[in-house]
Amino acid sequence: MSAFRRIGTGGRIDRGSTINFKYDGRKLKGFAGDTLASALLANNKVIIGRSFKYHRPRGLISAGVEEPNGLFTIGRGKLEQPNAVSTLVELSPGLEARSQNAWPSPRFDVMAVNQLFSPIFGAGFYYKTFVGPFKKSWMFYEPFIRRAAGLGKTTTAGDAQRHDMRNTFCDLLVVGSGPAGLAAALTAARAGVSVVLAEQDFEFGGQILSSSDPKLEAWRALSLAALQSLPNVRLLKSATVAGIYDGNQVVLAIGAGTVESLRAKTIVFATGAVERPLVFTDNDRPGVMLASALKTYLNRFAVAPAKRAVIIANNDSAYDAAIDLVAQGVGVTVADVRVTISGATMARAAAAGIVIFPSSGIGQIIGAKQVEGVKLAGPHGVTIECDVVGMSGGWSPLVHLTSHGGVKPVYDANVAGFVPGKLLSSQFAAGAIVGEFSTLGAIRDGVAKAGAALAVMRKSVASQALAVPDITEVAYAIEPSSSAPEGKAGAKAFVDFQNDVTAKDIRQAHQEGYVSVEHLKRYTTLGMGTDQGKASNVNALAMMASLRGLNIEKAGTTTFRPPFAPLTVGALVGRSTGQHFRPTRRSPLHHWHEKNGATFIDAGLWKRAWYYGWAGKTPEEAYIKEMELVRHSVGLSDVSTLGKIDVQGPDAAEFLNRVYVNGFAKLPVGKARYGVMLNDDGLVLDDGTTSRISDTQFYMTTTTAQAGEVMSWLEYLLQCHWTDLKVHVASLTDEWGGMALSGPKSREALALAFPDVDVSTAALPYMGVKDIVFDGVVVRLMRLSFSGELAYEIHCPANFTTALWQHVLKVAAPLGIKPYGLEALASLRIEKGHVAGLELDHRNSLDDLGLGKMASTTKPFVGSVLRKREDMMSPERWSLVGLELLEADKKLRGGSILFAANDEIKGHGRGYITSVTWSVDLQRFIALGLYKGGLKHEGEEIICAFPLKNEQVKARIVSPHFIDREGTRLNA
Amino acid sequence: MLDATSALGGEAPFERDGLRIAEAPGFELTQIAGAETDLVAALGKLPAFGKALEQGGRTLFRVAPSQFWVVGHAPEAKGCFLTSLSSGRSRFLVEGAAARDVLASCTAIDFSPAAFKPGSVAMTGIHHTPVLIHCVSEYTYHVYAMRSFALSVYEWLCDAAEGVRSS
Repeated sequence: MSAFRRIGTGGRIDRGSTINFKYDGRKLKGFAGDTLASALLANNKVIIGRSFKYHRPRGLISAGVEEPNGLFTIGRGKLEQPNAVSTLVELSPGLEARSQNAWPSPRFDVMAVNQLFSPIFGAGFYYKTFVGPFKKSWMFYEPFIRRAAGLGKTTTAGDAQRHDMRNTFCDLLVVGSGPAGLAAALTAARAGVSVVLAEQDFEFGGQILSSSDPKLEAWRALSLAALQSLPNVRLLKSATVAGIYDGNQVVLAIGAGTVESLRAKTIVFATGAVERPLVFTDNDRPGVMLASALKTYLNRFAVAPAKRAVIIANNDSAYDAAIDLVAQGVGVTVADVRVTISGATMARAAAAGIVIFPSSGIGQIIGAKQVEGVKLAGPHGVTIECDVVGMSGGWSPLVHLTSHGGVKPVYDANVAGFVPGKLLSSQFAAGAIVGEFSTLGAIRDGVAKAGAALAVMRKSVASQALAVPDITEVAYAIEPSSSAPEGKAGAKAFVDFQNDVTAKDIRQAHQEGYVSVEHLKRYTTLGMGTDQGKASNVNALAMMASLRGLNIEKAGTTTFRPPFAPLTVGALVGRSTGQHFRPTRRSPLHHWHEKNGATFIDAGLWKRAWYYGWAGKTPEEAYIKEMELVRHSVGLSDVSTLGKIDVQGPDAAEFLNRVYVNGFAKLPVGKARYGVMLNDDGLVLDDGTTSRISDTQFYMTTTTAQAGEVMSWLEYLLQCHWTDLKVHVASLTDEWGGMALSGPKSREALALAFPDVDVSTAALPYMGVKDIVFDGVVVRLMRLSFSGELAYEIHCPANFTTALWQHVLKVAAPLGIKPYGLEALASLRIEKGHVAGLELDHRNSLDDLGLGKMASTTKPFVGSVLRKREDMMSPERWSLVGLELLEADKKLRGGSILFAANDEIKGHGRGYITSVTWSVDLQRFIALGLYKGGLKHEGEEIICAFPLKNEQVKARIVSPHFIDREGTRLNA
Repeated sequence: MLDATSALGGEAPFERDGLRIAEAPGFELTQIAGAETDLVAALGKLPAFGKALEQGGRTLFRVAPSQFWVVGHAPEAKGCFLTSLSSGRSRFLVEGAAARDVLASCTAIDFSPAAFKPGSVAMTGIHHTPVLIHCVSEYTYHVYAMRSFALSVYEWLCDAAEGVRSS
């Protein structure tokens, strides 16, 4: 039965440094230098999981990134991470790993009952079975199906891992640190360019790490030391290149906590190749592994099969593994499917005492849960007891990254695999990735491709020749097989181990017409999952090509997309979590509000003071008190978030005259005017007041919500349409803070605040503007009102807004002045019937909002033509109305759908409520809304329906100006 | 004179292992736009994009075609449009050997000494907001951020500095 042992010497592990770790709750020991996979194997953990669909027992297949089976959930609580690829996880003290998709344990899994039903679980089973009987059946079944099958589960505990992100730049990025990568990096570095060498493993060296040849190790150490000594080289280990994007932007995941965005002038891909499995019945039995994996576990981690291995191969590279195993006392038999094997290879095997059975495949794997032996197929039908089967179906270059930019790989018959297509002029590929499987060839290629990259940067290779290891190599030959064994009924020969896709599934997909490789993938799930079919794709493509009678290059490949290997969502999110999820915008008065009992509300990115503690503990309680303060006394509110724009230049008045629907050309200096602007489609864009500071300078205000949009709209008009106008605009939103001083006592308060300034109506009439200097600071006084009361706005540079605010509150304290928040501010304007962001939603015309009379008839303005489109002039458009609640014990709600009294309460109705408030003046709920036909229906009783709460209340359509229609208060 | 208030609301400077991130207030900043000839008449020599120009006790940055920032006292500038931004921007000092690593974790600019020498200027974004970064000397950078976002950007910079420690 499959068994492994740690051998006493050799390998790259540190036997002096024992590492304790846990696997499925059991304490185990490994050594520094182990991966989680090698440590499990050293502890003879052969069955480590259950398969995705059939819950068949599974063991490790590989020792690298292509591993389909060896996935574990590692860590605990907020550090838990599912689907960790054990062949890439460096063993660390206290590591906890748990098997996935197996309960109660991988050795005895309840869901293994699925195997009994396996005959019906073929390709497309779920799609075919769970589509009915109802339209939404799939939606119903899907969660159950996903629960039964699958990979690890995401923790809901949160994420305690810190994730950082950084941006870097270099002249040359070398991906992979095998012979080609090391050679390329060193060649370029010696030429003086900045080089980054990125290695996915936690050790540099690639395939050399798996070699038993001390000459190769010596070359690796020498090359690495040379690189380390150069200041222009950055060596990154545990660094996965996840994606390559436009302009050679490279995204690397480094360790658990860092994502690096690297911009490389040139790239050399030296990603190597992974060995392919062979497809035979029960090739997923634990103990069946890649021959290269046996070699890696042996040479790098000193983990060997207990006694005997059978190698099944179609190429020469498998003999390296066989010879190394023999050297460590493992009995090895090779079954080579080829009829002809080269003399050199035969001689090497013979010298090592290895028995070869040519023209032989695997007839049968013996052992129900794990390998106990094999029966060979072919002329030598012998049965051999063994611990492991090492399979070698040739090598697949890791072309994925070269394809992220859309370059399709091309088939190379010499290596029976896909190699990169024509790359960009700044990208190169070297070594095994281009089918150069010999070590010396890879080194030469690395040097050459680094030279090509240097040439792109107009640099030349330094004169110092690269040292080359003194080794001899045997030529590589392969005889690929593309046909899949038929096997007896129920037998399974796996192509894709992670997704449980068998040779039979591929035949079935072909029979059912899913012959395109993209359809094959989606129908069978081949090549999906965390390994993205790194080990399986080429076998599947070859089989489909063979079934269709095509060459494999005609059958094509599926598309490779980032990420190359799984990334955690946390790594992608980086630091943008919690308070850093998005930036926060704060008024210059923010910290005063914070210290003085304000509760904040989000308004876009802004934090705005919603209401203050002095007025109540809840917003419902507080805003009414704050409204009463403004209606009867005086309040102060922060309006710093309003958009503010400096409009300067000899043509500023003409510019504003074109932008606003009403006239601005003749606005006198020292006066403000309310203005509305349209988009060029004739719909309302924004409103606000604009003040004339001098002949050539205006101070525009916009709504908080549209500030950015208006600013860029003005810039666009000036830069693209009216380049002849001498006008300059600049945002003052951050430069100036503002406060609204509102209420019948506001003039008294203003006089107290600025005793040297004449604030009488004669000196500062309604819409009057005055710049003063107060205590060394420029202050802009504007008599404007949003609330409908006598009111002023006081603006000053943001650095001094807090001091000025405190001054006003202090000196006007005898009048009972207090701050009021956004809720009261917004409610006061509803009583007055002023439209705001909720009504200015880019869907309404001037007439819809009752502002049609403002439009000048004597001048053109933006939107003046298109606002007169036939539909825009229809009297049946939804337009602004006021609403009064008629049922004293009920509420009006924002968003309610409006219906005429006799309408059926169904569908979109005749309009909706945009803004609601309790009116302190009228002592009832009032609202603004849009209603079909608008004020034509004034006086009518209608229904306001709020389906979310199943409420219907009666209201009356009234003028939207609920208070002070004559403007007595305003002009007081 | 009225007291000036910081946008940071009393946040303490970040200091560790020679790395310092702190507000650098008390500057005068004016945006000047206009025709190139008028600008030359007012300011003298004009800097290129990406380069600061120290001149007559002022520092000039080109922030758009025919548009400059003047740090220091702005001159009379006939025919030009002047807008004060002294309150509208908060300025941070990022200083120390690790300063460039902190900035590199915030924005995709090459801050290596060869690429971003003293006097270099970049207009870029930090934490989704526009900033101007000025390399004052080898290990000293000024970051000009919008005042309303200043605290958010400052917290983001300090958080980035924590990451520089852990990497």
